[in-house]
Amino acid sequence: MKFTLQRLGLLVVALAVVSVLIFAAIRVLPGDVAAVMAGMNASPARIAALRAELGLDEPLVVQYLSWLKGVVTGDFGTSMLTGQPIAAIVAGRAAVTFPLILLGLAIALVLGISLGCAAVLARRCWVRSLLQAIAVVGGAVPALWAGLLLILLLGSGTGVLSVLPTQGFPQDGWASPGRALTCLVLPALTVGIIVGASIMRYTRSALLDVETNGDVIALAMACGMTRRRAMVTVGLRLATPQLVSVVGLTFAEMITGVMVVENLFALPGIGTGLVTDIGQRDLIAVQGELLMLAAFFLVVGFAVDVAHRTLDPRLERAA
Amino acid sequence: MSVTIENLTVDYGGRRIVDDVTMTVGDGERVGLIGSSGSGKSMISRAVMGLLPDGFDVGGRIDVNGTQVVGLPDDVMALLRGAGIGMIFQNPQAALNPVQTVAGQVELPLKLHYDLTKKERRARVLEMLAKVGLPEQFADRPVTALSGGQQQRVAIATALVTSPRFIIADEPTTALDSTTQKQIVDLLVSLVDGLGASMLFITHDFSVLAHATTRSYVLDDGRIVDEGATADLLAAPSVARTRTLVTAAKTLSLR
Amino acid sequence: MNRNVTGKSSRLRIVCASIWRRPTGKFAVVVLGLWIAVAAVSLFWTPRSLWDTDGFNTWAAPSAAHWLGTDGTGADVFSWLMAGSATNLLIAVLAVLVAGLLGTALTAAMISARFSRGDADRGRGADADDTGSVSGTRRNVRVAGPAGSSALAHGSVVAVDALISIPTILVALMLAVPFGGSIWVIVAACGLSYGLNLARVARPAALLVANSAYVEAARRAGGSSWNVLVHHVLPNIRPVMTVQLSMAAGTSVLAEAGLTYLGVGVPSGTASWGHSLATSAKFIAVYPATVLWVGLTVTLAVLALNLFGDALRDAADPLTNPALRQNSARIVTDDDADGDHDYVTVSIRITEADE
Repeated sequence: MKFTLQRLGLLVVALAVVSVLIFAAIRVLPGDVAAVMAGMNASPARIAALRAELGLDEPLVVQYLSWLKGVVTGDFGTSMLTGQPIAAIVAGRAAVTFPLILLGLAIALVLGISLGCAAVLARRCWVRSLLQAIAVVGGAVPALWAGLLLILLLGSGTGVLSVLPTQGFPQDGWASPGRALTCLVLPALTVGIIVGASIMRYTRSALLDVETNGDVIALAMACGMTRRRAMVTVGLRLATPQLVSVVGLTFAEMITGVMVVENLFALPGIGTGLVTDIGQRDLIAVQGELLMLAAFFLVVGFAVDVAHRTLDPRLERAA
Repeated sequence: MSVTIENLTVDYGGRRIVDDVTMTVGDGERVGLIGSSGSGKSMISRAVMGLLPDGFDVGGRIDVNGTQVVGLPDDVMALLRGAGIGMIFQNPQAALNPVQTVAGQVELPLKLHYDLTKKERRARVLEMLAKVGLPEQFADRPVTALSGGQQQRVAIATALVTSPRFIIADEPTTALDSTTQKQIVDLLVSLVDGLGASMLFITHDFSVLAHATTRSYVLDDGRIVDEGATADLLAAPSVARTRTLVTAAKTLSLR
Repeated sequence: MNRNVTGKSSRLRIVCASIWRRPTGKFAVVVLGLWIAVAAVSLFWTPRSLWDTDGFNTWAAPSAAHWLGTDGTGADVFSWLMAGSATNLLIAVLAVLVAGLLGTALTAAMISARFSRGDADRGRGADADDTGSVSGTRRNVRVAGPAGSSALAHGSVVAVDALISIPTILVALMLAVPFGGSIWVIVAACGLSYGLNLARVARPAALLVANSAYVEAARRAGGSSWNVLVHHVLPNIRPVMTVQLSMAAGTSVLAEAGLTYLGVGVPSGTASWGHSLATSAKFIAVYPATVLWVGLTVTLAVLALNLFGDALRDAADPLTNPALRQNSARIVTDDDADGDHDYVTVSIRITEADE
């Protein structure tokens, strides 16, 4: 409990620090924010109006605090390009990205954990070696390439087996769930394979770690379990804290893959949106989106740490 | 139950860790295996149990009540482990499942080998805990909440709960302080004798061995270099290696 | 002192030989060597000039003239891929340098409260020495440890724990907003992320060393914090660090590919593997096989770096490399046969044997 509170305090501090960094990143922009946002051919009057509208004439501290006040109340400002509230835009994009992440993660966990166990427990030596090789090579594949290969293999039009859509998302989104889901299969598979390869490696080494460090597996076997059963029941449970930790970190790295994949498959998600907004210099939107993403990952990090602590009885006792 | 080991070898990564070891543990006998750390004692006990992971090559014969166990598949060995043979490990903190309660740990061999109801298992576990000197209220505590000595009692209860006919105790006292050491050895000896089981007691400490065994083998660098009645080995060590171990034990007990 | 030097060089020889003996290690060394060689050559020569564009020969299929075909401007894909190897090598080296420095600094800061004692503290330590009680000294150091360094240690632990969950790409995007996409943004983002990662991984080992009686003795002998750090802590976290940094180099290649594709990596006009990969992605409808070769290049390079890290770990670890045990302490061989290794104790002993 004490740990959770401490970690919660840390989360708040980290959020504050990150918000300052993001704010600063936008403000240290060479040149005038308003001029950049207004575009090349804007008249001085337009720029001045924009400055006033954005409150850019105020001292930086006041600007930061008023931004923060908005953020806390859920008001991230409005997009320069569309005039829509940023929170609403991001919510719309999240409806694509989160299902993609969840589906990808589910594929990764299923593939990674089962194949990781198999890489330790397979009876034949060459099967273990092959699985290990797959995990190692899989960890070296760029997300973009994996996506392209899957398109070449399964994508409609180009693919050897032309079965799955490779571009876009239905206009009406999840109103047609079947079509929306099929649009996500290839992207999620791409993410799942990339992340699954690293989860597979971690599972394998965590299991071997549990087996070689200490005699818990040996005792379970001495009680009458087969090695396979001992590893899958006892070993996997003891490896869980370690796995939760690395999966948490992998998750943070997974977002690069997710953004690439969104772009490759032309999905209107958070990654595509953020890259577009940066390209179009919609800085108020960028500022809000960066903060939301950072906050999301900080919260995930917090959850992972707390889960790790709760799942590891040795840590619980040490505290 | 008697166990006979003949010409046992264990190789790992091109290195011979156990070299041509031959020894027997007769029915109802308590036999010691002593050697400095690294001499390969644990390898022998793990070879008997079939606990050596991939990469360890085991050769020779190990006869457990007339069955040759070297090379038996893991699922067959598993039938023997925890039912016919019980094993106690060196460091209970590193061996007991840290996410289990005391009762959960002790009942594992019963769960795996016997078709008992929950109630029957519970009764058997509590009875066993009482035998190793742990009161009933310990049953539902997490194993990590116990002291080292109490944890080793849990480990002993786990090994003996199915009343196996052969016990392997692999340095069961090394991780404990000297007062607790004596208690644990005495407990183990009385329980094993009570069951009428035989025991292979592994240690690097002659002073412990004297309490626990009648006959001993001395292992050095993977080979048996000396054997005989424990008392004789202690009183008049003839082999240099035995002498070193005996001297070490005497110096330590002076403390 | 003399023994020390020979000990180190023979150790290095053993490690190199062990890496080479493993098939994966050999593969890694060959691929990395090839990479470096191609990068060097590309500085002076590529089959075609990068700017040798031909508007009438865009998206051409591979041919004798253009081994991997041409891109949308008619430039030679193979030449760009070659030139990219130099850029990616530069990024990898710089990212590793930044991560290594940051990681070391953070690790030092994290354990500073444990191993440093301010000058003011030294007098007190000497008093305790007079009583002849080692544990007394230790307690004294803890209690009287300079408040500054403990705040620093706490602060850096907190910073690492909090910031480690921010993905590399977010840092890169944050930097790309004011500075635009460039090599430096990639280097900074990768260096920052991997530096934090490194500190987190190296911390347990560093703490163990910092708390060891060995460091205690060095301090009592009058070693400064700097000395303790350089001679005792760093050598002991070096194995962990080298492996991590090798992996970080591999990840930097993947990060470059992702960031460049998203338009926040190397600017267009700079050759890089990310650029080639992004180009071949557009190429896919015209000549799908090209994407195979470009992606394979990147995958092989990353794979080589990862395998090199693996091989290095196994070769530099006395537990897995028996050749190293001959000139390290006996305790390693002792524990080994029983299977109850203690990695950290072992590595501390080796330093003792080395020094």
